[in-house]
Amino acid sequence: MKTHIVAFALSILISLSARAELKWEQTMIELHPTSADKQAIGHFKYQNPGKTPVRFKSVHASCGCTTAQTQKDEVPPGGTGEITATFNIGDRTGTQVKTVTVETDDAANTKTVLTLRTIIPQQLEINPTFVFWKQGDKADPKTITVKVGKEFTVKHIKVTSSSPDFQTKVEETGKGEFKVDVQPKETNNLVASTLSIQPEDSQKVFYATARITNSPVVQ
Amino acid sequence: MRYSLVRQILILAVLALIPAVGGAVYFRHKISWRSAILPSEMVTVDQARAWGENVIWVDARPDEEFARDHVPAALSLNEDRWNELLPQFLAAWSPGKKIVVYCSSLGCNASREVARRLRREAQLPDVFVLEGGWEEWLKKR
Repeated sequence: MKTHIVAFALSILISLSARAELKWEQTMIELHPTSADKQAIGHFKYQNPGKTPVRFKSVHASCGCTTAQTQKDEVPPGGTGEITATFNIGDRTGTQVKTVTVETDDAANTKTVLTLRTIIPQQLEINPTFVFWKQGDKADPKTITVKVGKEFTVKHIKVTSSSPDFQTKVEETGKGEFKVDVQPKETNNLVASTLSIQPEDSQKVFYATARITNSPVVQ
Repeated sequence: MRYSLVRQILILAVLALIPAVGGAVYFRHKISWRSAILPSEMVTVDQARAWGENVIWVDARPDEEFARDHVPAALSLNEDRWNELLPQFLAAWSPGKKIVVYCSSLGCNASREVARRLRREAQLPDVFVLEGGWEEWLKKR
């Protein structure tokens, strides 16, 4: 009986050591783009240490915002290369985790998941980005809080309303925070305004919306 | 004979456990790429349809996919052009409306992210993610 177990264990060990498999330098990359960057690009390098070629069957990104490219379809024994994962930042914020699933013809390890972790710096954090009043409500001011990101210094911000129906007032509350009071002139008409929030000495503009809405839908 | 069989099963189980434990330790810092969501924030196609006219359908897929086809009257709101599309969505929203966000399939994450931002940044209530996304909606069209 002992012989059977040893033979079984040995067969597993031998099959594991004999397989042709891509060896990845790293399967997780963390990127720190600047606030001006439109893309974050990760290079996942690999090597084929086996004695048989490895062929890529598919390379698939977890999100439409990420593309992945192989340099070649087949990696010869001893060959090296990389998969380039490009993440389009768009208007995304915070930490973004995207994956690329690589399928090869290696029967023992067909799938490898590559992870691209992108930390997008946020100069201003606006909360909430939407303030509204129901038609006929009292035209009291509502407050939007603007927080400056840890790695940034902003001493002043400028807030502009696209519509004269809303007035804004900025107050610096210290510790990298600002209070923006938004007030409609009246709430009888269904009007809206885009509030542009711009840090001083910066081209980047952030947005919030103010609106007078109609009354709730009665079910 | 019976004792020997049990012993053999135990040995094989222990052998199988070694790589399992190793994997769990090695991958302990791996992060899920999907945003966490409460079951109460998910909605099925049938449930959402039952809400009738009181729903705003939000398509979180990329522009090209939205242009190809989408749920009738759905509004496009994706994170590629969030700042541009959000005011258009907010102009259509009114208090009391339910918001149902969808992306391409069960495995996609865009709808969860869009729903999270609508709740957290715009502070809108009644934001739901469509189970199965566009694929599921197509099946029940």
